[in-house]
Amino acid sequence: MQMFQIRFVWQHLKGKRFVFLLGMFITLLTSAVVIVNPYLEKLLVDDVIRGGKTDWLLPILGMMCLVILLKTSLFMVKVVCMEVSSQHMLMSIRNKIFTNMQYQELRFFDRIRTGDIITRTTGDLEYLRHFVAYISYNAIDIVVTFSSALVMLLFISWKLTLTLLAVTPFIILTTVIYSKKVAPIYRSIREKLSMLNINARENIAGNRVVKAFAREEFEIEKFDQSSKEFKDINLRAAHAWQKIVPIIDFLAQFLSFLTILVGGIFTITGEITLGELTLFTSLTWALSDPMRRVSGMLNDLQRFWAATDKVVEICYDTPLIRNRDNAVHKEERFDGKINFKNVSFGYTEDKLVLDNVSFTIDADSTVGIIGPTGSGKTTIASLIARFYDVTSGAIYLDGVDVRFRTLESIHKAVAIATQDVFLFSDTIAGNISFCDPSMEIEQVYECAELACADGFIRKMPDGYDTIVGERGVGLSGGQRQRIALARAIAAIPSVIILDDTTSAVDMETEKQMQYNLHNLPFHCTTIIIAQRISSVKNADKIIVLENGKVDVGTHEELAARNRYYRDVCELQDEKDLPPFVGTQASEGGEA
Amino acid sequence: MAKRNKYDVDESLEQGFDFSKLKRSIVYVKPYAKLMLLALGLSMLGSLLGLATPILLQKAMDVAIPNGDINMVVKLALASLGLVVVATIFGAIRGVIMSYCGQSIVYDIRKDVFDHLQILPFSYYDSRPHGKILVRVVNYVNSVSDSLTNGLVNAILELLNLFFITGYMFSINVRLSLIILSGMPVLLAFILLLKNVQKKANFDNNNKNSNLTAYTCEAIEGVKVSQIFRRQKENQKIYGRLNREYQKAWYKAAYLNNMMGPVTENLKQWVLCLVYIGGILWISPSVEIGVLIAMATYASKFWQPVISLANIYNNLIKTMSYLERIFQTIDEPVDICDGPEAKPLPDMQGRVEFQNVRFAYEKDYYVLKGVDLTVEKGQRIALVGPTGSGKSTIVNLISRFYNVTEGKLLIDGVNINDITLHSLRSQMGIMLQDSFIFTGTIADNIRYGKLDATDEEIRAAARAVCADEFISQMEQGYDTPVTERGGMLSQGERQLIAFARTMVSDPAILILDEATSSIDAKTEKLLQQGIEKLMENRTSFVIAHRLSTIRNCDKILYIDGGEIKEAGTHDELMAKKGYYYRLSTAQD
Repeated sequence: MQMFQIRFVWQHLKGKRFVFLLGMFITLLTSAVVIVNPYLEKLLVDDVIRGGKTDWLLPILGMMCLVILLKTSLFMVKVVCMEVSSQHMLMSIRNKIFTNMQYQELRFFDRIRTGDIITRTTGDLEYLRHFVAYISYNAIDIVVTFSSALVMLLFISWKLTLTLLAVTPFIILTTVIYSKKVAPIYRSIREKLSMLNINARENIAGNRVVKAFAREEFEIEKFDQSSKEFKDINLRAAHAWQKIVPIIDFLAQFLSFLTILVGGIFTITGEITLGELTLFTSLTWALSDPMRRVSGMLNDLQRFWAATDKVVEICYDTPLIRNRDNAVHKEERFDGKINFKNVSFGYTEDKLVLDNVSFTIDADSTVGIIGPTGSGKTTIASLIARFYDVTSGAIYLDGVDVRFRTLESIHKAVAIATQDVFLFSDTIAGNISFCDPSMEIEQVYECAELACADGFIRKMPDGYDTIVGERGVGLSGGQRQRIALARAIAAIPSVIILDDTTSAVDMETEKQMQYNLHNLPFHCTTIIIAQRISSVKNADKIIVLENGKVDVGTHEELAARNRYYRDVCELQDEKDLPPFVGTQASEGGEA
Repeated sequence: MAKRNKYDVDESLEQGFDFSKLKRSIVYVKPYAKLMLLALGLSMLGSLLGLATPILLQKAMDVAIPNGDINMVVKLALASLGLVVVATIFGAIRGVIMSYCGQSIVYDIRKDVFDHLQILPFSYYDSRPHGKILVRVVNYVNSVSDSLTNGLVNAILELLNLFFITGYMFSINVRLSLIILSGMPVLLAFILLLKNVQKKANFDNNNKNSNLTAYTCEAIEGVKVSQIFRRQKENQKIYGRLNREYQKAWYKAAYLNNMMGPVTENLKQWVLCLVYIGGILWISPSVEIGVLIAMATYASKFWQPVISLANIYNNLIKTMSYLERIFQTIDEPVDICDGPEAKPLPDMQGRVEFQNVRFAYEKDYYVLKGVDLTVEKGQRIALVGPTGSGKSTIVNLISRFYNVTEGKLLIDGVNINDITLHSLRSQMGIMLQDSFIFTGTIADNIRYGKLDATDEEIRAAARAVCADEFISQMEQGYDTPVTERGGMLSQGERQLIAFARTMVSDPAILILDEATSSIDAKTEKLLQQGIEKLMENRTSFVIAHRLSTIRNCDKILYIDGGEIKEAGTHDELMAKKGYYYRLSTAQD
């Protein structure tokens, strides 16, 4: 029995457990109330209609109406109980998942994709809701009906009852075999549902590329495949289910057969009276009905197990990158001094992106990083912000290893204008004040001005209130980059990293941006990752990153000694270059 | 551009909410009508068999057992067992048929939604969070099958049941039957009263659910940004708020949906009381005791299907609210599609002509203010100018991502609107600013440009854009699995793959919109040489900020404020000492 799933549900019912149990209790009451009206009806027929006690008519009818009113009222209360408790649980789990997602490391999202997470927070959670709001109540009802019928039947004739019970082991056996068989199918169903979500989401996200290549037919075929698989696996489950239902149904109905046969023989042999047999037959359904329902419930339970596993997984998956127990938290501003000491790092074990790299970035200085495609420039930014942990060596922020600082304090100190600009579907103002929604609008304007974004924003029909689509669709690459920069400036960071933030911006604007960055109204270490020499040459220090190694120097120094840097300078028509004295051959040049 | 929707704003419903949607969904049920009729038949047979069992039982109790006829008892018992076997087999067959119909209907509807999404323009995707589109394709469609299959068949069964019982009731006693029926108008009045509130509640519930999903999607995709800016707490607050809103909407819908059952049950009881009162008042001489008891039983029997129907109706209301959204998506107008005159342009040469083209994303907000331009086959055109000047818009019009608002755009002398979209775009290589990579291998991604490309062609394309080197260095080479926005590839590498994808498609017209912005200078230089050859005999449009990359173009257009301010070769424009000259000197 998979107990941890039930424990998980119970845990998240916390706060509404009483309501949940109250609902259970009311279910019991309702089951009891159901017996009252048939009794009243019998009184009505026997005493009032046949017996002529007409003065009892209205009181009995009134009673019956009251009983129904009571029953339906109890039902409504039960509905409220189960909705309140199940919704409470869902909300608690959803919040927990969301919170966990917010703090997850980036590797996690490479492994579990957005569409999959959506499946877990929608489809899978639905089965948890179903468990709390339906299966559990049903289970109570089944148990109560079955056991009370059993007790009554045992009193009437224990021999006959035991004969009937002989069927139960077969029912249990069938359902257990079935459950084993169907469990992998249900796991497969939710995998296919997840694939459906993943494929649909990717298609929606990549709609521009689909159109650009006129690949609609191809996409339709691709999606059709997963849609078909989803249909087929559902049908397989239905078939498995329909193979078992007749057997269970048959076994349950077998009880009636046994009652007539054995009961009839018992009556004839004088073991029981005809009256007892009549009572017996009228109660047989109370045994057989729960038996039938049990199989349906087990079916639902299988889905519940499969779904809960998935939900629990993303609830409790702890990121490797998290605050250490003794992590140093710092509220005050950082100076913004960064040290890389013998840092090696690779996304996979076999391939190092950074190979024993050391350098220092002084507080309040401007540093440029340049290097070939895929050389690890963005990786440096990610490591400073501790999105990944170094494989060996250490990175120090204001003299303390980033792994010993709290993530909150690092992220407060470091702001990155990311290369792949992600904007939220919110107003432009909302995106700029992302780090602090309570920011004054004047400050938003100021940040936009510093990022040279104010001009084009004001030209838009709704200005700062323009809602941008997810990922900033509708804006040009340069506009997106400038909003991302404004967003980073608004964080008033101690270290600001521009990851290729000016690549789609025209030169004039870039010059203005560089000037503004130099004259920010706060102290700040500036790291500029770029492809253009013009973007980095005025920096205090330039880091050339190539083949996992670094070469650090000023523009003049590097132009004189670093082959790669020199080549790029020449390619980009840099003027006034010093004579080249280096010997280091550039890898790229040879290719 | 349509007003953009946010994750915390409900999507409005343009059309009224009515049951015409149900009529429309019949289209999806129709192909399975025969099967469903079969299922209906089986169910009816099953219920008839179900009626026979108590009769056998009665006979055993009344005749066989009092007579001590064991033989007969065994026979009757076996007969009832036989009936059970047949009935359960019928039931199982019905189950298989219904799940087949249900899953097929889901599949068909989903196909229609997805197919339509493929032809919807950018603006559809740009104007709402993607999570809201996603729930329609997956969750909503999943939710409609039961109502359209079991709901439908059971409704027919229950109606038949109701019909027979009513007939039977009237044949026994008309007056008491009328009393039993008197509850119906009350119930109908209640349903009508509740209808609008209930529909709105279900509709709101969907909206809130959709908002929550949209925000989840967005928050996950933007998680890196949230972490950088320590937005987690704030995001949790927003999520909590959306969660609570959803919960509130859920409660309202759930409670309203659950009201139908209790109300019907109470009504049934009142009617039953009226039957007893009426029966006893009329007992002599018009109503016999036996008749009264029978009528009381029938009153219960009559209301049973009514209660079932009320439940079916409830589910239907829910289903309607989903179908509403689904049909809304399927009906979403497509303004960029093949017109009736559209013909394929099989052998595109690549002559492009703009005749006084004006364009506005939003009414009267013109981004292009009259562009006249003729580009001959094989010419290389560069577009430069400040951001937001309209460069991207010009190339977006050539690939007909948007329709021109005024003026004419001709390709090979044919109006672009008269060329089928497929033939137009499949002969164009469009390299977008955002290099979206699909989940699959690197080879799969390059092959996206030409589905039947051989491995050699893929390698050749990758070599041409200088992507071969880094791909080959990977352990699995071209078979390296990548994911959308996947962490393993750098932005520059993704751009190179996207470039190879464009090159392999062998286009007549090549459009490069900031195609090399994230690629380092040296690779870019090599890449320039590589594509130089590929650009021969192809018309190409290049948008770039680094002017060094466009010097060799046949014509450079300086765009600003939605107009072509200057046009000419590099040397001509430099000699002119105008905008381009100033831009160019600023870069040096």
